[in-house]
Amino acid sequence: LSHEKWTVRMRFTFFRSIFRVLPLLLVLSPVNSSSCAMGNKTTEIRAKYEHILSHDVNELVNMSAEYRDRCCKNKKHENSKVFFCNDTQEIESLQSMACNMLRFFHKQKISKDFRWKAALVSCGTLQVLQCKCERHKKEKVCIQINTHTKEDTESSEQFKKKCNQEFCELKENISSLRSCWNKFEKMISR
Amino acid sequence: AAPSQHRMWPLAAWAGLGLAQCSGRRGQRRVECVVFNEEYMTCMWGSRETLMANYSLYYWYENRSPVVECKHYLQDRGISVGCHFNQSEIIQFEPFHVLVNASLGGKTLEIPSKRMELQDLVKPEAPVNLTIRNMSNNQLQLTWTSLYPRPQCLEHAIKYKSNKDTSWTEHQVKGDVFSFPSVDYEKYYTFYVRSKINSYCGTTQLWSEWSVPVVWGSNSTSKGTAEEPLHWFWIHTVLIPIVSCLLLLVLVVLLVRMERVWVILMPRIPNPSKNFDDLFITHKGNFQEWAGVPKDVMESFKPNYSENICYVSELPPKDSYEPLWEGSNHPPSLMPGALAAPREHSPYKNSYVGV
Repeated sequence: LSHEKWTVRMRFTFFRSIFRVLPLLLVLSPVNSSSCAMGNKTTEIRAKYEHILSHDVNELVNMSAEYRDRCCKNKKHENSKVFFCNDTQEIESLQSMACNMLRFFHKQKISKDFRWKAALVSCGTLQVLQCKCERHKKEKVCIQINTHTKEDTESSEQFKKKCNQEFCELKENISSLRSCWNKFEKMISR
Repeated sequence: AAPSQHRMWPLAAWAGLGLAQCSGRRGQRRVECVVFNEEYMTCMWGSRETLMANYSLYYWYENRSPVVECKHYLQDRGISVGCHFNQSEIIQFEPFHVLVNASLGGKTLEIPSKRMELQDLVKPEAPVNLTIRNMSNNQLQLTWTSLYPRPQCLEHAIKYKSNKDTSWTEHQVKGDVFSFPSVDYEKYYTFYVRSKINSYCGTTQLWSEWSVPVVWGSNSTSKGTAEEPLHWFWIHTVLIPIVSCLLLLVLVVLLVRMERVWVILMPRIPNPSKNFDDLFITHKGNFQEWAGVPKDVMESFKPNYSENICYVSELPPKDSYEPLWEGSNHPPSLMPGALAAPREHSPYKNSYVGV
């Protein structure tokens, strides 16, 4: 080959190699990079959780236990992966659970008090961890939670909804969220 | 007869097993698992007295490993009553399932269990090295050491009593220090501590066993038992008052009987009547006679007493001087106003009596 042809070939080879690397870099780069700003500040997270958020979480769990859940037994949920609290990725798991829980805020089949409390805990979790959800629409719920007071248009005793699939999924979500917080606390207490 | 008996045996055995299971269900027989200090776990399903069949346990973690049989059964006189899990077989924060099979005569029944989360079944080891320190202002500080690998996940309860108390007092603390506010140096105190996973690290009601006690204070009695305060109560409230009352009564009786002492305590009211015996007995109540009043004074007090009048007149200076009339016992009686007009028949004309 002449020198010019060799040079052109090398250029093409070089760019082809770069272009191959770039897709490879895109594949290897973490797609779901954590969008939580409090990742390393475990002491601060712990203080906020223990002094503030844990009370709301316990209230939500107790509220969840008051509702009829006979229809929830032996049911497998589609988003079961959301309920995992992965080892060494507790914060990311909490973020995923909190963001997932926000979608129940508009489910009319679920009691309003219960939905509101669940949204409050979700927003509190996101606030403590300083996380954002992938779908930013969900965060509008937190703005609504923080700025508006819930109108007492129903009493919890009169308007308890019947057991349904969405309620079961929310209940599972709440249980997983609390369990994941416990795991986080235990992990940082070593 | 023998073949019929042979056929009857499995039926009888299954009937017994069925009854056992039915009674178990009515009595809520279930598998109970406890994680001891996150070192090992036991899952028990009964005791030798209540079990008849052969039991085998299978467990699995949801969405993790396949179903695994228990590797270490706990036996009680030849019957499996539980399963022992090593630390490596314990995974917290993963839904855990257990299935116990009861087999008898070739047939098998299943005893299912609820889904469990092992972080909610942790029972920590009892605290050790309880130490008491004297602090200022009559305070005591109690400290201890936890054998649990994550002490920050624990909450504690302290139980204490003095030798003069009848019941225990219990306090909850979050740290590993307890301050006893005001201590009585004459009492003898006993302290116990136990621990539990707190609500931040799990949801459990499993308290550890109570620790080895630590004592503090003066042990003046041989043993500070709970019965001793009751003994002292009866002495103080019944015996001592009764004895005191009896003693007081004896003293009063003695006082009344012993007049010499009584007179000192209760002196007699003075009676001056003896000083007046002479008045009432000798003079028969005549006070004047007793007092020695002169007779002429006594006479003067009589109402018919009369006294001789002594006339007095004044001699004019120019007129002749005539001798004075001295101490005459028989002067003429002088009527009131008689001095202004001297009497012509009086031999004493213009005379006066000098004093």
